[in-house]
Amino acid sequence: MHIPDGILPATVCVAGYATSGAATWYSLRKINQKENPREGIPKASLLTAAFFVASWIHIPIPPTSVHLVLNGLLGVVLGYYAFPAILIGLFFQAVMFQHGGLTTLGVNATIIGVPALLAHYIFRLRSLVGNDSRVATGVFGFLAGASGLGLAALAAMILLITTVPVVVDVEAERASIYALALAHVPLMILEGIFTALVVLFLQRVRPALLEA
Amino acid sequence: MNWKPGAFLGLLLFFGTVGPAFAHGAKIVYTIDVTVNLQAMYDTGEPMGGGQVVVYAPDDPSTPWLNGTCDEEGRFSFTPDPSKPGTWDVQVRQSGHGEMVHIVIGKEGVTAQGDSGFNPLQIVLMGICVVWGFVGTALFFSRRSA
Repeated sequence: MHIPDGILPATVCVAGYATSGAATWYSLRKINQKENPREGIPKASLLTAAFFVASWIHIPIPPTSVHLVLNGLLGVVLGYYAFPAILIGLFFQAVMFQHGGLTTLGVNATIIGVPALLAHYIFRLRSLVGNDSRVATGVFGFLAGASGLGLAALAAMILLITTVPVVVDVEAERASIYALALAHVPLMILEGIFTALVVLFLQRVRPALLEA
Repeated sequence: MNWKPGAFLGLLLFFGTVGPAFAHGAKIVYTIDVTVNLQAMYDTGEPMGGGQVVVYAPDDPSTPWLNGTCDEEGRFSFTPDPSKPGTWDVQVRQSGHGEMVHIVIGKEGVTAQGDSGFNPLQIVLMGICVVWGFVGTALFFSRRSA
């Protein structure tokens, strides 16, 4: 999921910075339109910490292993704060653990952060059924959590498959990318269930947190 | 004179076989090659078995000098051309993951070990520092808002 340095062409890295810059600008503009933009910062900081640590939690799915991303959860709970939170989390993951990379920071923020914003919109659709409905909260929480990760995995797969350099065995590399993308299907379900449980818990104890 | 074929053959064998040993010395030519042994693995410690290796020589860092594949344990070995001293770049990639190492090889070769990652203690310490930074930020802003 985190694309490291040296894998993508320079033009793609530059385009990634451009798209992530636009998404950050849009998110900050939306945050600034809130009555009290600082109100969401404590929540965003804690979930940035969760996002930062989540990439250490590896789940073996033979023949490979995948790690938690939680971008759908961040989108659901944080709303527009999710994109800057993911950007900051990715920056620290790259600098501290060489997980991802600095040249690919923009690309990674785009493929993980934009699906988080889409997950936010998906979760807001629960208002069509009723925000007080626990069933709607659970179902849309699951859909948002699963689709956030699924769209990120799909974007990463498309990007990697279309940029495999000719200096390596292209077919072998593509086959291993397909296998890795397929391994994210069980993780989608897992993150969907986890997101549903978190939003159901928050709805019970502090429903105001879900009104991001 | 009455030459016998057997005596002629014996003379021929004497000069034909023993003679050259008196005429030449011996020498041994040798070279010392530096072999680079590497092992690629994911940050979980899982070996990158079947990972694709691309080696770039110092004189042309854009054209691969060697292509290869790691074994099941993620290991790969190659012998750089000793006539090309400098920094050799080796990239291993698999399914969009990968890493590049830069190995400096002088005219006399090298005997060294390198590692492109941190040790587990460093990682845990750095992780705790960053998480505490986020928690501290959350506490700061929640206090201000209260």
